[in-house]
Amino acid sequence: MSQIFKLPDVGEGLTEAEIVSWRVAVGDTVEVNDIICEIETAKSLVELPVPYAGTVDELVAAEGQTIEVGQPLIRIAGADQPAGADQPADDAAAPAAEEAPAQTETAQTESAQKEAAETEPTETESAETEPAKQQSQSSAAENSEENQALVGSGPKADSAKHRRRLRSTAPDLVDVSDLGIEDHGRPQPERSGAGAAESIAQASPPVRALAKRLGVAAGELVGSGRGGQVTRDDVERRAREKQAQREAGKSPDSGPPAPESRAAQPQEAGLLRSGPREENVEVRGVRKATALNVADSASTVPHVSVFKEIDVTATMTLRQVLKNDPAYQDLSVSPMLFAAKAIMWAARRHPQVNASWHETHYTLHNYVNLGVAAATPRGLVVPVIHDAQIYNTLGLAAALTQLTADARDGRTTAAEMQGGTVSITNVGSLGLDTGTPILPPGQAAIVALGAVRKKPWVVQGHVVPRDVMVVGGSFDHRLIDGDLAGAFISDVAAVLEQPGLLID
Amino acid sequence: MGTMEDVVQLLAEDGTLRNHEVYSTYLEDLDDAALRDLYRHMALERRFDAEATSLQRQGQLALWAPALGQEAAQTGTIAALKPTDRVFPTYREHAMALYRGISPEELIGTFRAARHSGWDPEDYHFNTYSVVLAAQTLHAAGWAMGIAQDLRTGSLPPQKAEDELVLACFGDGASSQGDIHESMVFASSYQLPMLYFIQNNHWAISVPSSTQSRFPLANRASGYGFEGVRVDGNDVLASYAVARHSAQQIRSGEGPKLIESVTYRMGAHTTADDPTKYRTSEEIDAWTAKDPVARYKTWLQNEGKADEAYFDTVDQEATELAADLRHTVHTMEGIDIDRVFDTVYAEPHRQVETEKAWLKDYEAGFAEEEGQ
Repeated sequence: MSQIFKLPDVGEGLTEAEIVSWRVAVGDTVEVNDIICEIETAKSLVELPVPYAGTVDELVAAEGQTIEVGQPLIRIAGADQPAGADQPADDAAAPAAEEAPAQTETAQTESAQKEAAETEPTETESAETEPAKQQSQSSAAENSEENQALVGSGPKADSAKHRRRLRSTAPDLVDVSDLGIEDHGRPQPERSGAGAAESIAQASPPVRALAKRLGVAAGELVGSGRGGQVTRDDVERRAREKQAQREAGKSPDSGPPAPESRAAQPQEAGLLRSGPREENVEVRGVRKATALNVADSASTVPHVSVFKEIDVTATMTLRQVLKNDPAYQDLSVSPMLFAAKAIMWAARRHPQVNASWHETHYTLHNYVNLGVAAATPRGLVVPVIHDAQIYNTLGLAAALTQLTADARDGRTTAAEMQGGTVSITNVGSLGLDTGTPILPPGQAAIVALGAVRKKPWVVQGHVVPRDVMVVGGSFDHRLIDGDLAGAFISDVAAVLEQPGLLID
Repeated sequence: MGTMEDVVQLLAEDGTLRNHEVYSTYLEDLDDAALRDLYRHMALERRFDAEATSLQRQGQLALWAPALGQEAAQTGTIAALKPTDRVFPTYREHAMALYRGISPEELIGTFRAARHSGWDPEDYHFNTYSVVLAAQTLHAAGWAMGIAQDLRTGSLPPQKAEDELVLACFGDGASSQGDIHESMVFASSYQLPMLYFIQNNHWAISVPSSTQSRFPLANRASGYGFEGVRVDGNDVLASYAVARHSAQQIRSGEGPKLIESVTYRMGAHTTADDPTKYRTSEEIDAWTAKDPVARYKTWLQNEGKADEAYFDTVDQEATELAADLRHTVHTMEGIDIDRVFDTVYAEPHRQVETEKAWLKDYEAGFAEEEGQ
């Protein structure tokens, strides 16, 4: 009985080693794990322990010779080993080989080789006889194709390296399955060899991800990298081409290019403007606060709105007088100023309008914290003039001017936006006639001022041009019924029609 | 690396025992049978280790990471812990694994590339080996946080807290990894029941520990706010006593502790490494004189704790263990490749199926050749 110990992969993925020196000679007796030789691999000098006990029958490889992993190294005769270790298994296929213990030296060798054949087919091993074996001893290098065996459980790559292949297997594919693209190029292993994936190029995962992100499908890509691999540049180039095609107003597959003159026609473009088809914008800051406030107000407060068209010619006349007054120089003298005065005048007569609803009770405010809705670059803010009732007309004009400037410049503080009791919104500044504002949280009334226009108006039976506007507003119906809302707006309207009412 | 003066040593290199006012008391708990058993575990692992190295050299294992020279560090420490203490090992804790009862088959499968992992951590309170350096110290901190949370919420009774501390193993090389820092920060912040166990075997593959740290690794613990102790890792009695002492403090709720076990990797980093390229034979000789198994055997003999018959019995058991390992390796079947694909996802997955089909097609390419 004899055993052949073949060169194992003693590192990680090594393929060959040089025999530096033999520590044993033919005829020596060895025990399992005795060191038989020293080899040098690409990584290290290694002493090899023998897996068999017995007598050294032959040193197959010579000192100074470099042999490949799996080639025969030494033959041990009279192999007498510890129980269970008589047939080194190369892999999972080994137990099958062990089921048929060898009867003779030849059969034993054959068995060992057959075992190797489980993972490394050769053409001649099953017919190999003693003479053939002798030949292999004398010219191991030439016969390496036939004799080499897989050894151990080293990396599979080693085994593949030595095995001949007659055909190729389809390469890995660009995975764009989640783009909803027909996967005509997926591999068809059961119909292999048909070149099923010829038109599909290889790409690394990051490049695939880029393609996915830019909306480029596998079939559109031609690889320019090594081995036809799709590169980042390929994907980006294709994405630019598609973008250019879109901008030129034609779909990628719609025949010859359109004439250049049509390229600039905006209606030919696929979208309203440049930019993505959909864009998600994070809701934050003023937008978020406004959204929360109006949603809360609109869903909890039953709003009632009333409007009245009025002749504000007298107010506009008074406005011009004040504008000419040096005391009002640099101050904003707008219909808002008179509306603010009118609101306080009306609120004095209708306390329940200047109030806050608290479910089990409501609070009547004996002061006016006047909120002024202002459209600013940051969004809608409603700064408050606290205790507006204490200001005279000049003081109120100054307060409104300051408030408007602060809001426009983003200087309004959080405290300045708290505590409003009644608000006013000037939709007229937007060129509108009226609207139905949403009540600021905690307030029961908001007055809307429309634009002042020259309109035909009937005065004492004659149609004459007058300054006309619509005043109206929204009210918390839990506190304020339609008649109260109407009475309040009518009082505001009365003041704006007859600002002389403000004279105490 | 500092001097050896601050290193706790009970058993000197010549096999004489010295007294230490704190640590010697823990040895009183060890009767002669327990003392002999420490030797037995070290000797068994050493034989197992040698067999595994040979098996790799014979092509039967893809790789082996020898623990040669570190038997006392590991055995003394694991013996000091309770069986319920949770161990998070590196890939070199063979003495600890065998001590806990992990079988040769369970231990060797990964090294033969025949198993993804060899054992169920729950069976031995011993996590699977971590090849990713230092990663296990984060897992350990996470596990310990779980214990702490269980205690806090009452899902673990307070008296049970003493039954499970967490041993986080790593080496001098891994000590340079950022994971260690994160683990220690959490351990300290949450006062976790953790014992950090550094086996400073002096070499991170080819980088000496003197390059990794300008001062003893144990000193790093103070930076995180807990105590670090240096122990002679080649002294199994000191390793046992220091680990017992640290474990006792941890169990009493003192938070994490660190042990730097000063030892030496007598073998290669792994079988893919050639240490002769970067260290001198003089250095090997110096450490051979400090051999942990020989030192302890000398003491057992001199003290009359064990006779020759005992050592013969251990030798015989070691021989049988090696034969068992050899037989196990030779008869171990590989992984069913279908199962590898089929267990990537719980449900069938297109890409996995594609790759599986690719492999089958690739393999079939050889079958065609064979048929001609």
